[in-house]
Amino acid sequence: MKRDLISMHDLTAEDIQLYLDTAARVETVSLKDRFQLLQGKIMASLFFEASTRTRLSFEAAMYRLGGNVIGFAEQAATSVSKGESFSDTIHTVESYSDVIVIRHPKEGTSRHASQISYLPVINAGDGTNQHPTQTLLDLYTIIKNFQKIEGLRIAFVGDLKYSRTVHSLLQALMKFRVNEFMLVSPDSLRLPEYLKRVETGFPVTFVETKDLEDAIPYADIIYMTRIQRERFPDQIEYEKVKDAFCLNAGMLKKAPEQLKVLHPLPRVNEIAPDVDDTPHAEYFRQAKNGLIMRQAILLNVFEVTI
Amino acid sequence: MSDKKIQMIPKIRSGIVIDHIPAGDGVHILEILERDPALKNVPITFGMNYQSNKLGAKDMLKIQKDDLCERTIQHISLVSPGVTIKRIRDFEVVEKVSVQPPHEMVNLLRCLNPGCITQNEPGLKTRFILTDPKKNLVTCVYCEREFSIHELSPIV
Ligand SMILES: [Zn+2]
Repeated sequence: MKRDLISMHDLTAEDIQLYLDTAARVETVSLKDRFQLLQGKIMASLFFEASTRTRLSFEAAMYRLGGNVIGFAEQAATSVSKGESFSDTIHTVESYSDVIVIRHPKEGTSRHASQISYLPVINAGDGTNQHPTQTLLDLYTIIKNFQKIEGLRIAFVGDLKYSRTVHSLLQALMKFRVNEFMLVSPDSLRLPEYLKRVETGFPVTFVETKDLEDAIPYADIIYMTRIQRERFPDQIEYEKVKDAFCLNAGMLKKAPEQLKVLHPLPRVNEIAPDVDDTPHAEYFRQAKNGLIMRQAILLNVFEVTI
Repeated sequence: MSDKKIQMIPKIRSGIVIDHIPAGDGVHILEILERDPALKNVPITFGMNYQSNKLGAKDMLKIQKDDLCERTIQHISLVSPGVTIKRIRDFEVVEKVSVQPPHEMVNLLRCLNPGCITQNEPGLKTRFILTDPKKNLVTCVYCEREFSIHELSPIV
């Protein structure tokens, strides 16, 4: 059976652990040896909407493993804009490549592609639904810093209502028996209730606050997200809250030594540049871990063990 | 069954009886039957608000045709899970099943999410999984959103 990566909901804790272990092993293989692993393989990189970071990370991962990349970076440049159906695009690309990576503005597109194609499909983001490689790289960053996931105290900050990154990571963390979260957000962007009612088999506590300073002495990890102006129907409301969820180096003076700050990037102003020089800044290494995790995912797709 | 009731909804020699419909759901089932092209010109008797020991009040439908297509039965199971479908031959009940929503629903319901690929790719069949039979909740296989069956419109 082909190995797709479509949704975190398809993965058990054991499946996730396999990705995490593979990523750790990727780092132990020299660049020269890594370059042998996917020689002769072609990855189709189909970005129906622009997402430069994710695309570059996937393409770099494929090149690092010695493979090649074909594809497009936005819909406007392709036959799709000439009215070709999605399934026709997939079937055409299928005959040129060995794995398909898809980014698409509509939810469920990767699932659809995986059903119509005999090639393995990797979801690089489908609308507001899933972005599993982001969640896996977040988990990898966490385990790399703490050597464990269970028992960690994690604070999510910012737009907890709409951020799929937060929703997906939160659900994955619960699979690893994380049972306490701090949720820092404005009232209008609180975490949806259904995400708090997930059946885990053990009690999970959510501490909700509007004060970012509460999270600093509390957390092992602060996961920052961007608060987008468009989310507020009332712009005055946005102006009132926007600065309350911005982290700066001064606030981190009270932080425990081990505290790490994560962010899916790109950031706008929710993390002040002065945080970059503190030992707590982990977001740039997190992006680098994305490149490692995507190599692990590609190796898993091709069933290459290292 | 009392004589009075038999008068109100006559027995049929052969066909299908949909029974134990909670009062009020009957009209919705009738709407489904009206959409089924195979039932065009087929006599259908519809009774409302009968007394029922089990339900308090119930609706009932009698269809003078020997079978119902699978798709229509599935639609009925979504609108009113638990109703009984009886097959009648020579005034006798020869088969009796209680219909329940299927675990997977292929192209029966339209996804409400405007961003879902099923709303945007012509010809793509919708798929829902019954994720909570007690609360009648279904999840779209594509966009992974959860809905109550009753908020989704049927595909005819
Ligand atoms: Zn959907």
